[in-house]
Amino acid sequence: MAKVRVVDEAGRQPGRPVQALALELAARLPHMMLEARRVLAAVSGVHGRRRAGPGEAFWQFRAFAPGEAAQRVDWRRSARDDRLYVREREWEAAHSVHLWIDRSASMAYQSSLASASKAERALVIGLALADALVDAGERVGLLGLLPPRSSRRIAERLAETILLDDAGRDRDLPPGDALPPQAEVIMITDALVPAADFTARIAGISARGARGHVIRIVDPVEELFPFDGEAVLEDVEGRLDLRVGDARSWGALYRERFQAHGRAIADGCLKRGWSITTHRTDRPATEPALRLLGILAGGGVQRQGAA
Amino acid sequence: MGALSALVFTAPAVLAALAALPVLWWLLRVTPPRPRRVPFPPLRIVMDLIPERQTPSRTPWWLLALRLAIAGLAILAAAGPLWQPEALPGTGARGPVLLVIDNGATSAHDWPDRLRLATSRIEAAARERRAVALVATADPTGEIAPLAPDAALERLQALVPTPYLADRNAHAPGIAAFLQRQPAAEPVYISDRVQAAGQDGAGALAAALRARPGIVHAAPSAMPLALVEVANRADGLVARVVRAEPNGREGATVIASDARGLPLSRAEARFAPGATEAEARFDLPLELRNAVARAEIEGERSAAAVTLVDDRSRRRRVGLVSGASSDLAQPLLSPTYYVGRALAPFADVREGRGGASEAVSRLLDENASVIVLADVGALDREVTDRLTRFVQDGGMLIRFAGTRLAAAGDDLIPVRLRRGGRSLGGSLSWDAPKTIAAFPATGPFAALRPTREVMVRRQILAEPDAQITARTWAALDDGTPIVTGERRGQGHVALFHMTADPSWSNLPLSGLFVDMLRELVNLSGRTAPGTQEADAQAPPLSPRVVLDGFGTAGSPPATAKPAPRTYATRAEPDHPAGLYGPAEGSLAVNVLLASDRLAPLDLSAFGGTVAPIVAGTSVDLRGPALAAALGLLVVDTLLLAILGGLGAGIGRRRAAAAAVLAFALVLSGAAFAPPATAQDAAPRPPVRKEDLQAAFQTRLAYVVTGDAQADAASRAGLQGLTAALAVRTAFEPGDPVGVDPARDELSVYPLIYWPVVVGRPLPTDAALRRIDAFMKGGGTIVFDTRDAPSTRPGGEPTPATIQLRRMLATLDIPELETLPRDHVLTKAFYLIDELPGRHAAGRTWIEALPPVPDGEERPARAGDGISPIVITGNDLAAAWAVDRDGNALYPVSGTERQREMAMRGGINLVMYALTGNYKTDQVHVGPLLERLGQ
Repeated sequence: MAKVRVVDEAGRQPGRPVQALALELAARLPHMMLEARRVLAAVSGVHGRRRAGPGEAFWQFRAFAPGEAAQRVDWRRSARDDRLYVREREWEAAHSVHLWIDRSASMAYQSSLASASKAERALVIGLALADALVDAGERVGLLGLLPPRSSRRIAERLAETILLDDAGRDRDLPPGDALPPQAEVIMITDALVPAADFTARIAGISARGARGHVIRIVDPVEELFPFDGEAVLEDVEGRLDLRVGDARSWGALYRERFQAHGRAIADGCLKRGWSITTHRTDRPATEPALRLLGILAGGGVQRQGAA
Repeated sequence: MGALSALVFTAPAVLAALAALPVLWWLLRVTPPRPRRVPFPPLRIVMDLIPERQTPSRTPWWLLALRLAIAGLAILAAAGPLWQPEALPGTGARGPVLLVIDNGATSAHDWPDRLRLATSRIEAAARERRAVALVATADPTGEIAPLAPDAALERLQALVPTPYLADRNAHAPGIAAFLQRQPAAEPVYISDRVQAAGQDGAGALAAALRARPGIVHAAPSAMPLALVEVANRADGLVARVVRAEPNGREGATVIASDARGLPLSRAEARFAPGATEAEARFDLPLELRNAVARAEIEGERSAAAVTLVDDRSRRRRVGLVSGASSDLAQPLLSPTYYVGRALAPFADVREGRGGASEAVSRLLDENASVIVLADVGALDREVTDRLTRFVQDGGMLIRFAGTRLAAAGDDLIPVRLRRGGRSLGGSLSWDAPKTIAAFPATGPFAALRPTREVMVRRQILAEPDAQITARTWAALDDGTPIVTGERRGQGHVALFHMTADPSWSNLPLSGLFVDMLRELVNLSGRTAPGTQEADAQAPPLSPRVVLDGFGTAGSPPATAKPAPRTYATRAEPDHPAGLYGPAEGSLAVNVLLASDRLAPLDLSAFGGTVAPIVAGTSVDLRGPALAAALGLLVVDTLLLAILGGLGAGIGRRRAAAAAVLAFALVLSGAAFAPPATAQDAAPRPPVRKEDLQAAFQTRLAYVVTGDAQADAASRAGLQGLTAALAVRTAFEPGDPVGVDPARDELSVYPLIYWPVVVGRPLPTDAALRRIDAFMKGGGTIVFDTRDAPSTRPGGEPTPATIQLRRMLATLDIPELETLPRDHVLTKAFYLIDELPGRHAAGRTWIEALPPVPDGEERPARAGDGISPIVITGNDLAAAWAVDRDGNALYPVSGTERQREMAMRGGINLVMYALTGNYKTDQVHVGPLLERLGQ
């Protein structure tokens, strides 16, 4: 019979070991995948950002051309000599990746069948993806917390930000603000919220056309429910508990319901053009990371595989 | 009737509770163990899933069975199950049981069996609801009344064997009266089957019991062994072991122990077939024999098997009276000196003070058992009468001849003496001194063997008469008696025909004298410290140590009363076996007298059926049943804990328990592993040939540094020093050798020269250990940094100094000081001031000497040993170095005088290493000679 435990508060924080794991995982992600991604970027123009254009980051100063709007003159620069300059920003056509890692109480859960707690696995996958994506030239930020950037030490920056974000520990769902069309969202969550709420939140985020990917982390016990006999099930987030007289017979009902929940989540994602990857914590963390990189490189949303 | 009939219940009513088990089953079934609590995050999304069946799953059947088993066992235990209960093998009577049990000292050896048997009888009576009357034959008589079995059992548990024999007949009237009152009573007699021989041990009791024949439990034959006597005989200590009849116990081990209970010796006693007596003989020196305070039969655990020994058979008190004047300033000329020394090992010697008569009378007051009169002539009439009475009572009177005795005449001598002595081997005699002839076989000295060294120069002669031969205990070669003796009444009178001092003979100086005196003292039959009359008047002795029935010594019970000094009967209830009176001069009371013997009791006189003493085989199953229930309860608790989700924790604990168990196993394994012994150590490597040679001839040694130049200089230098030593001193060393401290045996060299070479590897740890051992073992190492010119006091250490410091860092180096001018090293052969070498500037460091006490002016000082270390920078070897022709190899910094001083310093070093602080004494020769005026 499986034994389960609720890991402590620190287990939900991206500590040093988690970062190390993440960097190790990132190092293992095959370079080929990243190369493919780069080729794709060049072809599709998504990454054509080495030129001036609408954006936020500074690109270059160029001489003021007569006829331009006077408000575009960068006066600070122009004051240094006699000519007038215009500050150009880099064209932000590249998609910035917004990461959201679920750190709610339900993530701090590990059964004896799993090799890591859900929270740890989510952090490892998230930070590894961030590192790999930055390596590939993308900019990665935290949804609602950190604007996308391509810092060399992105994993550490993300980890620091997550550490400081106390409010994030009580959130089951990401902030629902709509993101720009170029943005891509990666949500790593156990999706243990009513499917309707989840779908609504996805709809909110992608209202302006942002794409998204969901990695759903599932502990094997949650999927298999390998209990029998009498048991009292306790919710780890709230005060709920449920007395189950015969867990074995109730398990069948539960599994059916859980699969339906998974389908509802997946349907909600696919409906908005998001990809969904279900990851069980008894599987290696490489699988969802590779799959997601593949989806990002392929640019399309694939049907849920056995990741 | 199968095995089932063997199981009965003392409280069968309780078994009705078994009927409640089904109810318990139902209750248990619907109250299952507490469910596990499982944290389960997805609960929120499935909260609406109401479980189909709220009724919990049943308690697992095996848990149910376990709990029912616990309840059943508890009920069974409460019902008092008894396996194979014993019924009274009685006559069918339903009246009270009269249980008569022997608890005298002879019943102690198998008392537990008796107690078990009596217990099972009382328990059987309890089952049959019969009262029990309990009579212990060694306890005081009293009213015999039937008791409830519980009360009887309590009384029985309080019964112990007594340290005296049972007086069974005393209980006969009471028993007869009881049987009269209780016509339905059934007697059960548990007998030890032993009585004192020659006495009617149980006649009246038998008569009383025969009135209503019951059951007599007794062993097939009288089993106890007893110790009746420990006799301190001349030929050893003899313990007499007796038994009532041949009973298959053919031997016994007797242990003799001293007053503190420490065993002194053990001896075997073996019964001849059919015999009832056996002797255990202790071959002990008399001193140890006298120390024996207690003898017991090993393993018998009975007061009858213990004999306490009091002073009566212990050391005798010897009174010593000299006729010589008491103002003897020189004790070696005192006649009593030699006798006192000879007697001291085995007797308590008291020397009389004052005049002879007064001294003798005082010693008789002190209860001396032997009186030695050394050349005492006349005693006054009253004392003579007392002395005569003393001998008649068993005292031993030993007299030594002398001028006074020869002059006087009383009748306390065994033979008539001739006036005047006989001188042998004197200047006026033709005869040579005589030796003692072989001792006559009839005398007390028969066991002794005379030695030829004993010479008798002078003796007093006896008048020859008819009895002279019989009274001669020792004679000279020519047949003239030298010791005569006679038995008078209980005692003896012995006379040495010579003085007690060595003026007439060297016998008092010989070991034979000691042996002869010992035999004489042992002859003293009067061992009681007092006379009967005096004892009778003496106050009674209160008990000090009393044995219990098992022969264990303890403090006396309240019932023990003081015994008169003349107490000479068996132990009684009022006077239990033990020691009475003060620690010195105590009176021993034993269960059996020396004359006592045991006899079997005639059981047929009791008229009942005779049954063996076999305790019942009934087994009380209450304990096992309760234990099983408890064990199952523990199992149940564990199961509950596991079911309740404590699995993980328990798993951890189980692992910890396993670890502890493994640890304990390992520990016990280590404890039982054979201890490492010296044989396990690696065998010593064989001694190398070089070491052997070095050990045979003293030689100087230098350490091979590996630097060819330094090694050549060392070798040449030591060769030069060796040559100088051979020329100038008495010491001719062998050829110097180079040694490697890591490899070579250093202990064969007195002095090792070690040039410090910069850049060479440091000595290994093994080498350092050997160097340390060498220095601790008295060797001296001279470290030479050879850098005197480049050193400055207080300056930077030179590379060689640094190298030396690193070499010595791990060595145990004593405190050092620069060579003081009065150090013995500067005086060891030459008188020198310092130790120059090729250089003269360097300072020499040596082990610091203890500080000089204030005000003491000494020309030379030295510590206890020699300095293990000398450090110099003067490059000594280079100054000593010579080539084959004796020419110096290296220039010195100063004049050639410096080379000479260097050589002298080297010689002093060697002499210091060889002779140590000897010269600190030699330097006093001058003042001593002056003081002698030479």
